[in-house]
Order: sequence, then C-alpha cells, then structure tokens
Amino acid sequence: MSNSTNPAAISIKNLTKYYKTLKAVDDISFEIAEGDFFGFLGPNGAGKTSTISAITGLANFQSGDVRVFGYDVVKDYRVTRRLIGLAPQDYNFDPFLSSEQILYYEAGYFGLRPKPARQRAEELLEMFDLSDKTKVSYRRLSGGQKRRLMIARALIHQPKILILDEPTAGIDVELRHELWKFLAELNQLGTTIFLTTHYIEEAERLCNKIGVIHEGKLVSFGGRAELIQNMRSDRIEVRIKEKLHAVPDRLKLLHAELANGGQLLSFREDRSRLNEVLHEIFNGGLTVEAIDVKKTTLEDVFIALTHKRS
Amino acid sequence: MPPVVSSFLYIFIFGLSLGRHIDQVEGMSYMKFLIPGLIMMYTIEGSYINTSSSLYISRWHNSIQEILVTPLSYLEMVTAILIGGLMRGVVVSSCVYLVSLIFVKTTILYPLQFFYMLIMVSAIFSTIGIIAGLFAEEWEHLSIVSTFVITPLIFLGGVFHSVSMMPPALRFITLLNPIYYMVDGLRYTVLGVHSSPLWVSYLMVFVVFAALYSFAVYLFKIGYKLRV
Repeated sequence: MSNSTNPAAISIKNLTKYYKTLKAVDDISFEIAEGDFFGFLGPNGAGKTSTISAITGLANFQSGDVRVFGYDVVKDYRVTRRLIGLAPQDYNFDPFLSSEQILYYEAGYFGLRPKPARQRAEELLEMFDLSDKTKVSYRRLSGGQKRRLMIARALIHQPKILILDEPTAGIDVELRHELWKFLAELNQLGTTIFLTTHYIEEAERLCNKIGVIHEGKLVSFGGRAELIQNMRSDRIEVRIKEKLHAVPDRLKLLHAELANGGQLLSFREDRSRLNEVLHEIFNGGLTVEAIDVKKTTLEDVFIALTHKRS
Repeated sequence: MPPVVSSFLYIFIFGLSLGRHIDQVEGMSYMKFLIPGLIMMYTIEGSYINTSSSLYISRWHNSIQEILVTPLSYLEMVTAILIGGLMRGVVVSSCVYLVSLIFVKTTILYPLQFFYMLIMVSAIFSTIGIIAGLFAEEWEHLSIVSTFVITPLIFLGGVFHSVSMMPPALRFITLLNPIYYMVDGLRYTVLGVHSSPLWVSYLMVFVVFAALYSFAVYLFKIGYKLRV
C-alpha cells in the first residue's frame, strides 16, 4: 500500500463504470506500486479494457477515484497522461501516416521539440526493428510490426507507467518471447507495467502482482505467489487399484475428488499434507498404485476463481 | 485544386457571361460584385469540410485516441483542429482571389478588416465542422449539414446578389441569415460597399465564434462521442 510521501503508481478506489445500463466495472479497488509488473486477468468482457480506459482518459466513469502517482486522472489529466504510455488492444493509428510520422507526431503531442522528436522516433524504430519501415504506411505493416509500432508509440515520451492491453494477441511465438524479454528488461529499469492478457503463461512468467476481474468485479488481487498459495497451492493425485463409486467419508475432509473412472483420487491439499492423505487412504483399506504431486498453476487459480463466480 | 476550378467556372459563367446582361450592382460591374461573395463561399465550405471530415475520420478509425491520451488540454485539442480548418479556408480563399484576378483586377481596400472577417468566418465554420464531426454518426450526416444548412444560407446570403435586388419579403428573411452579414462585411473590406451596418458584421462574427468555440471545447471536455 502507498503512503502520503510515496503514492501508488496507480490507485483505484471504488471504480464503477456503466455502458448505459450495463455495469462493466463494479466497484473495484486496488493499488499498484511503482516498479510493479501487474497482470490484469479476466475473460472477454470482464472489464479489463474499461478499467484501462478509465485510467488513461479514454472512458468516463460514473463513480470512484482513480489516481496516478497521487494525481487525479480527471482533474489533473494533463499530468497523469504524461506519466502513462498506452498500447491499446486495437490498432488506432492515423491511417494516412507512415510509421515514422506516427511516432514523430505523437512525440510532438507530448511536447517534444522537432529535433528530439525525430531522434526519439528513429531510436524507437530501430529498437523495435522497424528501421526499414519508416516511410511505410502502417496499413502495409504485418500484424507483428503493427503491434511493435504500437508499443514504440506508447514509449515515445518515456512514461513511468506502461499500460499494455493484450500486447501479444495475434503475434507469433518468437515475437511473443522477444516482447516478454523486452518488457521484463523495461520493468527492471524501473518502468511500472500494467498488462492485460489472455495468456496465463504470460502473467505467470512476467508479473509480480496479479488481479483477476470477472463480470466487472475484482475477484482476486495480490502477489502472484500469494494468489496461488491462497488457492491451496498443490494438487495430490493418488491412483488406486480399487474402483470407487463415491469419495469415502474420511477422505471428504481432505477435499478429495474422484476421477478417471473411480480409480484416481485428487486432493486439493498442500504437499506437506501428503503423509496425512496416504495415512487416510491406507486406513480406508485402499491400495495405492501411483502418487503424483502437482503444483497449482495460475491457470488453475484463474479457472477456479472465474468458474466459482459464474 | 477543386475550388480553383469551380471558382473559375463560377466567375466565367456568372460574371463574364450572365454578368454582361446586368448593368451594375451597388455601382460596380456584376463580376466585381461577385468576387468577395465567392471568396466567402469557398472559405466557408473549405473550413467546414476540413474539420468535419478530419474529426469524423479520426473518430471512425479511433485515431482520435492518439490525441485523447496526450497531455494536451481540451482547449488545445479543439484549437489544433480548428487551425487546420483555418489554414484550408485561408489557402482556398487566396486561390479564389488569385483566380479572380484573371478576369478583373480587384484591389482589397481594407486589408486588415478583410483578414479579420476572413479569419473569423473561417474559424466559425471550422468550429461548426468540429461540432458536426462530433455529432455525426454516419458520413452522410456531414453532408446533410452542408447541403441543407450551409449551402442554402450561402446562396441566400447575398453571394450572387445584392439584398436591394430582392423583393421585400425575401429581403427580411435575408436579414435573419448570419451568412449575409459575413458576405456583406467582407464585400465592404474589398469593394467599400455594404448594405447593413458594418459593426453588426464585425461584432456578430466575434460573438458567434466565441459561443461555438466554447461549446466545442465543452464537448471535448465531457468527451461527447469521444470517450465511451
């Protein structure tokens, strides 16, 4: 949590956003500290983009308080917009401009003088391997090149916070890994990153803090490890010789589930309780054929959280 | 280029051909009388088309978001779009004036007042274009404003005729048309003749612009059809 001398990079309190009668964001609150790599997960239409739009000024919201480094995004919009770089989900370039012009003009909007603006544009085109596309209209770029240009544009004014809405959607595996490497380095250099994604692996690999939104409500928020821990971190799977029709009463207390035609007992328990699990199985007169302890992935957590709510 | 060609045709057909059959208007040849009206007409059209189409296209392509996420103030955003329309209006009107020199030498009598009227009128219709560009849901809506509002007001606003040439009933209607005062004011700055008090023209363009500009900035501030 932030304090008065060191405000959170992004602070959202009781944000509610309607589209006519549809409540897209329902009274959510959370904070992201400076330097965090925050992953915002949720199914389609959960409210991720609406939340981002409220932070960046692309959407009005009905109630709540949204601040960037302590500045109100509505009252102090000129300050907050300077602190944020946004790479939205859909391409929103001026269709009549070349790659170079897109970056050059955007630099101008952020107050860079012509010479530094041109230098910064060239630097970013090179950094994102688009140097040979400077005079090319963005419409002639490939999907991956457009995505890179979008991130380059978001970085034109060297923002303290980079917001990426589904940055790796529709790009190939190689480019995705390159982008992950780049974002991790950027974060290490001090840029706070706010990322929405459908790829659980992406959040698991990059983010130190994760929020899950479902039907407009924030269903989970915290550190990645903490989030998984809260969901009982492991799954103990025991294959038995006998074929059961129901979970024996003594095993129900250990959150057992039956699978694989009655021959697989699955326990949502931490691996430290393995002895206890086996003890109860043996006491129940069952014969163990194989044991497997699986670590819960973020995907398990995500599915559990969103399904539980549905 | 299109305004150059069409203004050439207007002057050629109305001024040179038909104008021969009109003795004099306000004490001068019809062709000379026509020039300030044509300048005003093309300024109005050019300014409106520039801003309305620019804003509508950028809303359509979502590229307006490129500007909305920047630290520019809403006043700066509106002013920037308006300057685009203003530039187009001034360039187009200059071209029309240069074309007119092919047919008749017209010296601008009061250059300062001429630029004041030209810039204010261009700013007014650039702002109307911004407002139309925000309200429009379809491309056709922009041409509806142009066809059903701006063009009739231009044609009834004394571009091609003097108010003294009209029957009394139509004359009264003309006096309610704001474009009439714009054309009349500009005609004075070029030719030194006018039909209504000049201060009305000068003041009206200022007041109308201030009101429209404030409204456009307000629409940007509340994010009307810009923010979801």
